[in-house]
Amino acid sequence: MSSSATAPTIDTALIDIVKVTKTYPPDIMALDEVSLTVGHGEMLFLTGASGAGKTTLLKLLCFLETPTMGLIEIDKRDIGKLSGHKLQQMRQHIGVAYQDFRLLPKQTVYQNIALAMEVRYENPKFIKQRVVELLADLGLTDKIHTPTAKLSRGEQQRVSIARACANRPPLILADEPSGNLDPAATSLVMNLFHRLNEEGTTIIIATHDQTLYQKSPHRLLNLENGKLQEIIKVNFDLS
Amino acid sequence: MRYLSFIFGQLARNFRHGWTSQVMTLFTVSLSVLIFSFFFLIYVNMEKASSRLGNELRLIVSLEQEVPTAFRPEFKKKITDFAKVDKIVFISREEAFARLSKQLGRDSDILEDLDPSFLPYTVEIFPAGDLKSLTRIKDFSDYLGSLPGAVKVQYGQEWLERFGYFISLLRMIVILSGSLLILTSVFMVSYTIRLTLESRQEELEILRFLGATDRYIRGPVIVEGFLLGLLGACSGLLSLFFLFQWIKNHFSGPGFLNFFELSFLPLANSGSIFLIALLLCTCGSLISIRKYLKV
Ligand SMILES: Nc1ncnc2c1ncn2[C@@H]1O[C@H](COP(=O)(O)OP(=O)(O)OP(=O)(O)O)[C@@H](O)[C@H]1O
Ligand SMILES: [Mg+2]
Repeated sequence: MSSSATAPTIDTALIDIVKVTKTYPPDIMALDEVSLTVGHGEMLFLTGASGAGKTTLLKLLCFLETPTMGLIEIDKRDIGKLSGHKLQQMRQHIGVAYQDFRLLPKQTVYQNIALAMEVRYENPKFIKQRVVELLADLGLTDKIHTPTAKLSRGEQQRVSIARACANRPPLILADEPSGNLDPAATSLVMNLFHRLNEEGTTIIIATHDQTLYQKSPHRLLNLENGKLQEIIKVNFDLS
Repeated sequence: MRYLSFIFGQLARNFRHGWTSQVMTLFTVSLSVLIFSFFFLIYVNMEKASSRLGNELRLIVSLEQEVPTAFRPEFKKKITDFAKVDKIVFISREEAFARLSKQLGRDSDILEDLDPSFLPYTVEIFPAGDLKSLTRIKDFSDYLGSLPGAVKVQYGQEWLERFGYFISLLRMIVILSGSLLILTSVFMVSYTIRLTLESRQEELEILRFLGATDRYIRGPVIVEGFLLGLLGACSGLLSLFFLFQWIKNHFSGPGFLNFFELSFLPLANSGSIFLIALLLCTCGSLISIRKYLKV
């Protein structure tokens, strides 16, 4: 196995999840004592049946939900203790492609992607350049001024992925990034992810899509009924 | 600089998405400013008129007999002991008679067969400027009436009293309408801004997810409130000015209004109305955004 597939040691860890349990009311146990360490610059796949808790785990990492029990550290900081300005700054450094996209329907593709950079007060010229670049990468160049409500699901999905990548954040969380995409579009997205990963971005991808991880050397984790286990892949590509 | 350009970019975007409510707020603010400053304008003019009236005020004391020249200084001293006085004029029967015949003009021939002795000796007293309030004038008049030899004191009591009541009524109206209008405009401004925020709730939520800071969200909203106040106050005061010009042009000439010599709000007053409107609109927007800044 390649070096990137081995679990990181604590001092290189970007994310440290320790015995995290999440229950939704009334008593739905979405995550059950999950522990996971993710290293700087790692790419990681998260699989599991529908309802296994993948989205829940990602939501915990981007502050959309708080754990019922347990500890989550990002960059050695207990994220349960972040609030106000610190929390918002942390959010600026995590790119999230939500399963339900969370785009602004009335605003254009350009505006939706630019927003992620505007909240960081980036240079307008830079923003423009970056949006054009991302849209070219994802095959959406001709949709730049279309309101996102008028896009197909697959196009909306790519816009949300472009927004997640816009700031070149150190951490990207992608929830079912190929859920609505054909193989060609999927490979555009994965190429982008791989490129960012090579530049040092840590990426966590939750997916049902075997083609995404089958041939990749990266770690694969499986969630089942809220319990996390690592899958050791038999890698056919090993020479 | 970049922060400002972001604020104005967002402002333009918000306006494109919800200009109706913004225009409504603007309308409310200018109407409130107009109504309040209109009452205030009337009040200011009334006050002015009443002080002018005070300057023209004189008390006429009728006497049983003429005050001999030798006693006049003592008589004057008695008066000035009670209140400051600009001028005291002793009027003989002959002078009074001459005045009366002048007032009658062409009808003065009815006086021909009369002797000036039917007229009383009088003293005219012009109180100094600080004798303004009605009760003080009353006290003064009572005092004058108690002077030896005084028969009657006249100063247009009834008219003055009515005018005094009118002024205090007007003062009440200005204060009441002012506070009500301030309340309504604060309410309206914060309400419409809240409406725009509510329609933008989804957007604010997404901004939150993307890591927008309080400053980023608050900035455009405050600037929006500020601009609403600025434009609203300006257009309110401008409409008042045009309304004032119109009234002045249409009702000038001889008559009641001419006596008041209408004048516009002094700069200090219109300036403070302007500043208050600005402050209230900005505060209104601050208050309404507060709810949304809690993560
Ligand atoms: N807000 C919520 N309130 C109550 N229950 C919830 C909530 N969100 C998720 N759940 C439940 O928690 C469990 C895990 O949900 P989650 O969305 O994490 O699954 P998932 O692995 O992402 O599924 P999918 O592959 O379909 O996206 C499910 O049983 C779901 O019904
Ligand atoms: Mg999910």
